[in-house]
Amino acid sequence: MSAKTDRIDRLAELTARKDEGGHGLWYEAFRRLRRNPLAMTGAVIILLFVLIAILAPWLAPHDPAAQTWLGEIRGAEGFIPGPRSGNWLGVDGLGRDELSRLIIGSRQSLLVGVVATLLGFTAGAILGGLSGAFLGMFGKAGRWVDSILMRFNDMALAVPSLLLAISVATILGQGLVTVMIAVGVTQIPVFARLLRGSMLAQSHSDYVLASTALGVRKRRIVLNHILPNSMSPVLVQATLSLATAIIEAAGLSFLGLGGANAANPEWGVMLADSQQYLATNLRLAVYPAVAIIITALGFTLLGEAMREALDPKLRK
Amino acid sequence: MALLEVEDLAVTFQRKGTAPVHAVDGVSFTVAEGQVVGLVGESGCGKSVTSLALMGLLAKRGVKVGGKALFDGNDLLTMPGSTLRDMRGSEMAMIFQDPLSSLNPVIPIGLQVTEVLKRHRGMKGEPAEKEAADLLDRVGIPDPRRRLKEYPHQLSGGMRQRALIAMAVACRPRLLIADEPTTALDVTIQAQILELLKELVAQQGTALIMITHDLGVVAGLCDEINVMYAGRVVEGAARRPLFASPTHPYSVGLLGSIPRLDAPRGEKLKPIPGSVRDNIAWADGCAFAPRCAHRTDECLDGPPALVQTYTGHAYRCVNPVTGDEVEAVTAAATLPAPSIVDATTDSDGEA
Amino acid sequence: MSLLSVRDLKVHFPIKRGVLFDRTIGHVYAVDGVSLDVERGGTYGLVGESGCGKSTLGRAVLRLVDVTSGSVEFDGKDLATLKGEPLRKERSRLQMVFQDPMSSLDPRQNVESILSEGLAAHGMIGDRKARRAHIQQTLDAVGLPRGALSRYPHEFSGGQRQRIGIARALVLKPDVIIADEPVSALDVSVQAQVINLLEELQNDLGLTYLVIAHDLAVVRHISDTIGVMYLGGIVEEAPSDVLYVSPRHPYTKALMSAVPVPDPEVEDSRERVLLKGDLPSPANPPTGCRFHTRCPWRQETRCDTERPELTLVGDGHKVACHWAAEIEAGEIQPKSDAVVGATTAEVA
Repeated sequence: MSAKTDRIDRLAELTARKDEGGHGLWYEAFRRLRRNPLAMTGAVIILLFVLIAILAPWLAPHDPAAQTWLGEIRGAEGFIPGPRSGNWLGVDGLGRDELSRLIIGSRQSLLVGVVATLLGFTAGAILGGLSGAFLGMFGKAGRWVDSILMRFNDMALAVPSLLLAISVATILGQGLVTVMIAVGVTQIPVFARLLRGSMLAQSHSDYVLASTALGVRKRRIVLNHILPNSMSPVLVQATLSLATAIIEAAGLSFLGLGGANAANPEWGVMLADSQQYLATNLRLAVYPAVAIIITALGFTLLGEAMREALDPKLRK
Repeated sequence: MALLEVEDLAVTFQRKGTAPVHAVDGVSFTVAEGQVVGLVGESGCGKSVTSLALMGLLAKRGVKVGGKALFDGNDLLTMPGSTLRDMRGSEMAMIFQDPLSSLNPVIPIGLQVTEVLKRHRGMKGEPAEKEAADLLDRVGIPDPRRRLKEYPHQLSGGMRQRALIAMAVACRPRLLIADEPTTALDVTIQAQILELLKELVAQQGTALIMITHDLGVVAGLCDEINVMYAGRVVEGAARRPLFASPTHPYSVGLLGSIPRLDAPRGEKLKPIPGSVRDNIAWADGCAFAPRCAHRTDECLDGPPALVQTYTGHAYRCVNPVTGDEVEAVTAAATLPAPSIVDATTDSDGEA
Repeated sequence: MSLLSVRDLKVHFPIKRGVLFDRTIGHVYAVDGVSLDVERGGTYGLVGESGCGKSTLGRAVLRLVDVTSGSVEFDGKDLATLKGEPLRKERSRLQMVFQDPMSSLDPRQNVESILSEGLAAHGMIGDRKARRAHIQQTLDAVGLPRGALSRYPHEFSGGQRQRIGIARALVLKPDVIIADEPVSALDVSVQAQVINLLEELQNDLGLTYLVIAHDLAVVRHISDTIGVMYLGGIVEEAPSDVLYVSPRHPYTKALMSAVPVPDPEVEDSRERVLLKGDLPSPANPPTGCRFHTRCPWRQETRCDTERPELTLVGDGHKVACHWAAEIEAGEIQPKSDAVVGATTAEVA
């Protein structure tokens, strides 16, 4: 082979870029997410939490509702046994195994968090999506529709979740469903505002103009361009919302709106129950509190990392 | 001795887990007082990073700066932070591309100007305010007293750039670095700003480093021009020789790429193929080789050395473009320049 | 007859304020009475500084913004009055190339989907195989590799993205392409590639262009006829070469003299008209001639009271200035401080 072809090959070799390509933005974002240690920490926490919640009946060493050690406490004149070989986290004031209650309680938290967020996300996305679609695409009439929807939204935004929960509770009674609705409904306006704003920004972008110039129908532009490009902040918010929903649900249960059900322990209820033992058995408050904090932290870490990974400014 | 001597400046960005990026890779040039030196190149050539390194404005983390930058004999790159901070704004100042983001949006212009005067010249109160108004007046902002009380968003783009220039020259710096100062502005405003910069250099003897992608801008302004590509200066010469006989194929290519205002219609442009992404590492040869029409086998024998001619022309190329070939690329016929003021009458006679 | 002819086009954007109900408190006169003709197969260049309304004019022609009044005749139809489905159908014949190739491409669409969207919208080439072949052909025409189909916009360089934008317009086989600052976001060396591509496509396909740009050198290079816009109106229109050699409107003179030329000989010897101040707000344009507030040739009469019409002064050369003839004859001189001559420039 002559030196010349040798050199040409060498240039080709030097200029050849790693050629994989063809990956969409979601894939790239996912790759960035995977390289982020904080995101991975969050994901591991969430995964553990979900696994524990699913496998709870098999993981829990004792029946969370059985007051097995009540007699022992009575015998010891109110002394509550701490961590020991049979009860790794000790027992609570009514003689139930603390660890089992925490494990089973994770189901409630997950359920409330997911259902409430799903409720807020779905209703909010529909409301915000409609608003954004009308505002972005249908001129004056669209602005009217948007105005009306958004005024309703503003009203909803003004109602505090506690007040809402109490109102719902007067109708439905205390219980998990009440908490879910209360937490979920207060999330609706947040999602609605976010999606609407995001869609509005996208509908002013050049590629929407380009599609209009191509003669693409408005409905298609909204569904194929504006909506998919508006979803990333909403997804981030949903992840972060899971954290707040879990905390809020615990808060409402703490206040007694979750309904007292001994068979179904809930972290917020556990926290409330621990109050009377605060002076003597602080650990009873610490366990559920730490569980709530760690879970919320997991969702927050993942959410923040997602925000970073999906940030258009970081796309290069 | 020159005011600023940059020798072998190198800036490497290194982030954990990624390959190091040699943004600036051995750049040398000098700037004398009252001299205008241009750094010209396309995006990613390292011209802005060079200026930030000189001003000490690069982040400390993940950045390695090498070489020397002697300002009046003192090395800017090894100087302690406090000394450098004192020099910034008083001895040397910088003007950025986007005047809006370079000004604090919630503080009136006047306060931002007097802040500089206070920091470096110890002026306060009424004298500082008067000086600020004088500065604004000098850079051609009408009604400066009123403007001092206004916020950046109340000024037009051209006015904001003037205000920034006023702040930059407030302490009569000996060196001014302008990083694409007119790119965000309209041409008629650009002409005003360039005229202002020329005046400043002529009146105050300021040394000016002009960073731009626009060869037209440097043609009218700079004394010395350095053309940069992929972090290195590929050609450096005085203004007239550079445009009359560009030697590096990249400079020749740039000149062939620009539609000239005075070219007759029908002249075809001669673009450089590929984009700035299509580089190879300098260690492997000439970074420009993949895009170069003048490429030979030797181009891949490692980085080309800087060749100095006795006329002061310097280039980094193993197969430079000769005079005849340049003509084939750049020397198109030009149309006669239009006359703005009728030549038959005396323009100074009337107002 | 010309293919595209715009008559007295006006686009006024209402300025709205209000807490509950929006009230119109004024208008931005973005385009205020523009007429121009683009010949079939020709290129009309529209040049002006930011805020002069040139982009709005381009969008109004495509009906991407609402037209206040006037007409846009295209091949015998008035686009300005079309609505709904007939308008949407007509869109395939007039296409647009945008300034920023990144923001004008949907980041979540790959090239194939970007290029087939318009075809689908107009029901063109229904067969999947034929459609793909047509798309491939278009890719070849704009100089993109065939492997580009499955890739996403962020995987390309700026110049390649602009080629995708051009391909998107071309794929519908339009008659007219409106290019709004097609090269201003690109590097110098890449600009030239795109300019050459636009010229080659015009030669091969017989396209008609309306090129909108702020860079007079680019516009002069590519256009047959140039219209210079200032604050919503065309102040001068002339064939490309004529405009450079003998600009007649004071604004054109100033604009032309401000464009830097990459040649020290020219830079050192040319005269420069420096304009004072900034562009007035299009929401509150000056009375009379819109340029009179900054014009170095301004006269005591007419300039501030009467808006000059675009009048024919030579072969295809139109100027909107009351005093064009007097300025040409040298009877009116500019303010002496407005012209910076070769004398002030140092000879190196």
